[in-house]
Amino acid sequence: MNNQAVYIVIPAFNEGKKIAEVIAETKSHGYEKIIVVDDGSQDGTCKQARESGAIALCHRLNRGKGAAVKTGIEAAKMLGADTVVTLDGDGQHDPRDIKKMLQKIAAGWDVVLGSRLMNKSGMPFVKVVYNHVGNFLTWYLNGLWVTDSQSGFRAYSRKALRLIDTRSDRYEYDSEIIREIYRHKLKYLEVPIEVRYTEYSMGKAEKQSLLNGIKTVYRMIWSLLS
Amino acid sequence: MPFHLYQIIVILIAAVMIYQGINNFIKGINHPTVLKLLVRIVVWGGMAAVALFPSVTFWGAKIIGMEGNMNAVILTAFILIFLMIFKLLSAIERLELQLSELTRKEALKDLKKN
Repeated sequence: MNNQAVYIVIPAFNEGKKIAEVIAETKSHGYEKIIVVDDGSQDGTCKQARESGAIALCHRLNRGKGAAVKTGIEAAKMLGADTVVTLDGDGQHDPRDIKKMLQKIAAGWDVVLGSRLMNKSGMPFVKVVYNHVGNFLTWYLNGLWVTDSQSGFRAYSRKALRLIDTRSDRYEYDSEIIREIYRHKLKYLEVPIEVRYTEYSMGKAEKQSLLNGIKTVYRMIWSLLS
Repeated sequence: MPFHLYQIIVILIAAVMIYQGINNFIKGINHPTVLKLLVRIVVWGGMAAVALFPSVTFWGAKIIGMEGNMNAVILTAFILIFLMIFKLLSAIERLELQLSELTRKEALKDLKKN
């Protein structure tokens, strides 16, 4: 696949210490078109991203991961992207996995979902449990069973980019994508991805804690009722 | 007819709220409308009326078809509160979406500039 039309979208919130490294690692695998969406960080993430050679878009207010990803995808569409790959800004995702996702998109799949549960090694037990709960709720509310409904490492074809329209701003965004796949009958595939659980990424306060998980569930249910 | 303490309190509060509404309407404070004033008078006037004439709740319960006037009052209050909460949550959600849209448009302006 021609990397010229591939955009990597990285939502980031207070990743000033890590974002330069993430961008450099992604570039080292041949992906030059990187869009970082700084979601109202207070630690210079936007500046770091810009200085590292990414296209840096800065939210003046913190709106949530879903809102940041949507901004990045809109930007990629404006720039003429054929394929968009989203990955997290804290270094948990290995850019080496982008290649196999792009191969699947080139083979005709509309959405490729990175799955941590297809490769559980190193995954903390509590996260495995949370994921199973998230998967069950996503299936129950949105109609599609996937092994990792909360993964942010995903690839989208041009068709998927055109059809998917989300409203969720926060962590429930990942589940809403599953609903959009179901709604538009997109061809999707799950691939195992490697996730690096470091002290840095596990220590982030903004990550999905139990309380955030409960809020995510509430928002998933509310979005169906309202 | 001797008044109980709760009746005095409710009537006083209702009177203050209605007075405030009328005052705001006359002075044009907080974008008053006739509808808002009428709703205020109906809600607070209704509470004052119930406090002054508690027997009116029996009539209300009979119309709804409930056993016991207090059940009717409590049920009506719950329904109204749930409706208000639902409306508020919907309004908040709309505002949140608009805020995200504005934030996005502003961020994308940087892209258009470059």
